[in-house]
Amino acid sequence: MVFLTLSCWIRNRGPDRYWKVQELLKHARHFRGRKNRCYKLAVRAVRRAFVYATNARRLKKRNMRTLWITRIAAASREHGMKYPALMHNLTKTSVQLNRRVVSDLAVTEPRSFLSLAKLARARQQEGFCAALGDGKEPPGVFSRVVLLQ
Amino acid sequence: MSSFSRSAQQWATFARSWFVIDARMQPPGKLATMCSVRLQGKHKPIYHALSDCGDHVVIINSKHIAFSGNKWEQKVYSSHTGYPGGFRQVTAVQLHSKDPKAIVKLAVYGMLPKNLHRRTMMQRLHIFPEDELPDDIRANLTEELPQPRKIPRKLSEYTQEEIDAFPKLWIPPENYKMQ
Repeated sequence: MVFLTLSCWIRNRGPDRYWKVQELLKHARHFRGRKNRCYKLAVRAVRRAFVYATNARRLKKRNMRTLWITRIAAASREHGMKYPALMHNLTKTSVQLNRRVVSDLAVTEPRSFLSLAKLARARQQEGFCAALGDGKEPPGVFSRVVLLQ
Repeated sequence: MSSFSRSAQQWATFARSWFVIDARMQPPGKLATMCSVRLQGKHKPIYHALSDCGDHVVIINSKHIAFSGNKWEQKVYSSHTGYPGGFRQVTAVQLHSKDPKAIVKLAVYGMLPKNLHRRTMMQRLHIFPEDELPDDIRANLTEELPQPRKIPRKLSEYTQEEIDAFPKLWIPPENYKMQ
């Protein structure tokens, strides 16, 4: 059985305009200045706040991704790699972890992250070796290949 | 707090370490990039802009920094006193002779994010013109940072054998007149 008497009574007291104003001021109570009590000011502030909130839902995803990237960059520098090299070589080795998971590993499981960094480093060295061929400079050309070895 | 939770397992996660870096013959911009990363805490995987996880950085020998090119004469530091006609422009040489800490400090200040935390982070930067440190700071030091630039040797620091052994592109003839 649903008890409706009290709620019906609460809704029925006072004019409709009062309840309309309260509906809106509900969202403005934490605002600063007269915006939190004057309808005329609050209605504009609330509309603006909702627009900000809508945009922020998109921005939040962007900001979280930049935070993950900053954290992964910090952790990979601890192991002597740069962020782009780490992520590129992880994708090359088919490690399908996204930046959120990798940054979580960097914070809570440093040793798992270290193994990932080692994996990426090994892949990077393989790539270098492949690019250099057999490690010898082309005949008749003095290049930096020898110096890199 | 429960000892089983992760937070209890990570003592000293937010502890501050003190880095020291020797600025002798180093470019101020490269010093400042290293310092600003550590002052913000961006070298830690737990970084968050609001968690105030930056470290202290001590720069010694800031009097002996090295600018490349013609920056000592042509780099201009501008400021305005706020009064009419109060626009001041000094070259790097003038500023450095007035205050040997100012160039490094301004370089770091410019590389920190422009927000309300900037002054707080600058308070964790300690600059000393020479290599003498007060005991209370010396006691805190935990790690020395590598210098960003390898200090080049002067010609006077090479021995005669090394100069003779250096490969030459062209050997002047006997009667060549050196200017």
